[in-house]
Amino acid sequence: MKVRVGGLVVTALAVAVALTGGSAAAKSNACGTVTLNEQAWAGSTANTYVVKNVLEKSLGCKVNITKVAEVPVYQAMADGKTDAILEDWGHVPQWNQYVTKQKTVVRAGANGVTGVIGWYIPTYLMKQHPEFKTWKGLKGKETLFKSPESGSQGMFLGGDPSYQQKDKTLIKALGLNLKFVSVGAEPAQVARWEQLYKQKKPVLFYWYDPQYLNATYQLSQIQLPARFKGCLDDEKQGGDPKKYACAYPSYTLLKFMSKKFATSGSPAVGVVKRFSWSNADQNTVAKMIAGDHMNPDQAAQKWIAANKAKVNKWLGK
Amino acid sequence: MAVAEAAGRLAAPPPRRWWRSRTGLVLAIVVGMVIAFFGWRNQLVWPGSFTWNSLSHHLDSFQTWLSNNRNVPHPSVFFRAFNGLANFLDNLVGWLTSLFFKLTWAGTTALGVLVVLRFGGRRAALGTAAAFVSFAAMGLWESSMRTFALTLASVGFSLAIGLPLGVLAGRSNRFQRAITPVLDAMQIIPAFAYLMPIVILFSVGPGAAVVTTLIYAIPPAIRITALGIRGVPTNTVEAATALGATRMQTLLKVQLPLARRMLLLSVNQTILFALSMVVIAGLIGGQGLGDVVTSGLYSNPALAMLAGAAIVIMAIALDRSTEAMAIRTDPAHRHLTEGKQRRLRLYTLGCAVAVGLAVGLGHAFNAGSVWSRWTGQSWLLRQVQSALDFVQNPNTFIFHITNPIGNFIVRYGLEPLRSFFVEVPWPAMTFGLALIAFLLSGLRPAVVTIVMLSVIGVTNEWTSAMDTLSQVLVATVLTMIVGIPLGVWAAESARTRRVMRPILDVLQTLPQLVYIIPFIYLMPVSIVPGVIAGVLYASPVVIRLVEAGVREVSPHSVEAADAFGATRFQTLLKVKIPLAREAIMLGVNQGMIMVLAVVVIGGLVGSGALGYDVAQGLQQSLFGQGVLASLAILALGIALDRVTQGRRRRRLEDLA
Repeated sequence: MKVRVGGLVVTALAVAVALTGGSAAAKSNACGTVTLNEQAWAGSTANTYVVKNVLEKSLGCKVNITKVAEVPVYQAMADGKTDAILEDWGHVPQWNQYVTKQKTVVRAGANGVTGVIGWYIPTYLMKQHPEFKTWKGLKGKETLFKSPESGSQGMFLGGDPSYQQKDKTLIKALGLNLKFVSVGAEPAQVARWEQLYKQKKPVLFYWYDPQYLNATYQLSQIQLPARFKGCLDDEKQGGDPKKYACAYPSYTLLKFMSKKFATSGSPAVGVVKRFSWSNADQNTVAKMIAGDHMNPDQAAQKWIAANKAKVNKWLGK
Repeated sequence: MAVAEAAGRLAAPPPRRWWRSRTGLVLAIVVGMVIAFFGWRNQLVWPGSFTWNSLSHHLDSFQTWLSNNRNVPHPSVFFRAFNGLANFLDNLVGWLTSLFFKLTWAGTTALGVLVVLRFGGRRAALGTAAAFVSFAAMGLWESSMRTFALTLASVGFSLAIGLPLGVLAGRSNRFQRAITPVLDAMQIIPAFAYLMPIVILFSVGPGAAVVTTLIYAIPPAIRITALGIRGVPTNTVEAATALGATRMQTLLKVQLPLARRMLLLSVNQTILFALSMVVIAGLIGGQGLGDVVTSGLYSNPALAMLAGAAIVIMAIALDRSTEAMAIRTDPAHRHLTEGKQRRLRLYTLGCAVAVGLAVGLGHAFNAGSVWSRWTGQSWLLRQVQSALDFVQNPNTFIFHITNPIGNFIVRYGLEPLRSFFVEVPWPAMTFGLALIAFLLSGLRPAVVTIVMLSVIGVTNEWTSAMDTLSQVLVATVLTMIVGIPLGVWAAESARTRRVMRPILDVLQTLPQLVYIIPFIYLMPVSIVPGVIAGVLYASPVVIRLVEAGVREVSPHSVEAADAFGATRFQTLLKVKIPLAREAIMLGVNQGMIMVLAVVVIGGLVGSGALGYDVAQGLQQSLFGQGVLASLAILALGIALDRVTQGRRRRRLEDLA
């Protein structure tokens, strides 16, 4: 009996030794391991995987991808668990806390994409009602957008809770007879307006660019009042609703790196800093990933192959 | 004693008139509230002078303070301790994950199947093999193993902490009274609310994910274990004591073995609860299948469904194998002879060699890359996508049925109910609910109701809380209507149990967003998807607890009722259900808690109100908003729980 137990132990030990000895030899290169963070939406998948493939193929880096949510990722960078994020939509409190005060995260420039947020309607509706080109045309016609939840008012579909939005106050400020209906996260909101779009019904909703669906559906933006000095966008600040009565600002999307990564001297730092592409580029790759359901690595490689000049600029060539 | 009990219940039904007048009073109060609604609609919202507006800012400052003190070069001992714990958990999960990867698919599958085969039998081993094969066939091997490592760690720690505490709660009434509000809080406060502080204390990664899962998975372990210990007949415990057993001997040799079925349910529920947190764990670096679900929801819903299916398969396989292993190693059934033991040891040695060979083969053929070329993932994705395309098409006959139904329910049912709750004058709501609480459960629950509603008003959450309350009430009532009868049916019929069990497992572990988002395409209105999510998530818990309770009823009582000539239905209604009262009430309590636990998911699919506020609080780093909305959810939970459980608690205290 003891011999058999012993045999079992010996076998287990042998297996264990074989395992520990069998790790692949580390690739000796100047780059090492880089950890990029990817957000849930397709645009973020697009830019993260393009940079990942550039780093892997051209610099021989080993790239890991984390998927931490937009706000906790700053703590992840502060702890060195994530090296860089490639798309930030203006999280000013986090900039103040981690970049300015703690200095654990540093800026890495803009990623070339301009975020546009606004009020959108389907283009077929715009054609039927050309007066909807500006918000003034909505006055008196709000009941066109009625839904079971909005009673006698028209329904305004709010955006994902994680997105910057001020529509509740804006509706009040513009004096429109609309009810702000929050339909939840983006997939849920898309479900709502997609169904109405497919039935060719009227729908008014919060939407933005870059977004891969903009290439699939024809949507038109409603012009909101021009921006004026002192215009507010953060609903949490409260105050006079009239101060919010202006269009959303355009967002220059920014990149951030952990201090640790930025001072590491890795060649990847330069690539991340120089990475920059257009809204159209991001939407193209995002459509391949989310619209055509292509594997993200394949979509990225396809775009890289067709845009060698841009990629070389990032590599500093 | 059992005979007397049964006889008493059959012979003297409670006087009808007393019930009727109480229900009448409750109805009168509701009518009063409705009159108040129509008379003073929207005129008496919670007065601003009674609110503590700056509380939100204070909480935000607290989080900022926490973060600033955490990220200095030399943090204090307090933070270093959390750091140490986080690193330990990170390393543990990381070690498990790299072990699975180093063993390759072939080795891990061989190891898993052979371990289960050795300790659990052929059937469980087959299930385990099918599970491992399905992960690889779906092209989700790596993610599955990360989640598996995380789950093993979470479930292991949950049981290690939960079972002993559950035993303690089962034996000590004082401990149970003390710990119950803590458990309620742990289960009701949405993970979203404390995610940021956890990230600040434990950083991002598997460690933080394990801690988040623990907070959610320990309460069922404690509660069900306690229920099991208390369910052991007191005569048996007395007999053991009379024979001279010490407290430890009574525990180990009498109470635990007799509570075996409940303990197994406890393990089952801990596994399911741990796996239902996989998606949230992904938000803070848990990696694995949770990440695939989250990004899938935005870019590839079919892939999200596959990942969801993988989570469910893992849950079911883990649950069935642990159960099989527990049954096989039951000392009551052990009858190994000397010869059998020797053969078994040789068999184990053979298994170890087989695993070693599998590992070798795996490395030789680089099984990882083989699987990625041969996976059925693209085929599976195409099938799921075409199903989704059908569901998302508004021109199908299904849509023409579901869409009008959904619109009708919201327009004439849920939306008016929501307006009623939000716009009724606050004195009418507060005192109306308190009076109802008094009638149903007594003075203390009525006072608790007033306190909780005041907390909600003072923290400026009145409108959102009333909005959520209207939906939670609908979901809870539906859950009880569905859950209690199904639970009783499952207790009576073994076939129903067999059929229902996998369905319940799926509903408890499949990430809700995966099936609710397609549902929104069929019923594109607010509120309904959130309520459906609540009912589908809460019913399995109610069904299971009711089933376990009714099945546990002493067979002597049933025999006695039989002897008195009761039909099966009479026995069920007058003996079994009343005697299973404690389990049924725990089922009601847990069902309501589960509905509240899903409020945040509801917020993500159109329920708005508190759920939305909590989600937004995390994602836009509005800690104060998230905490206050969560406290409001907790306050609602406590109030509802005390109202439904009030009378029962008093009885338990009388016995103590």
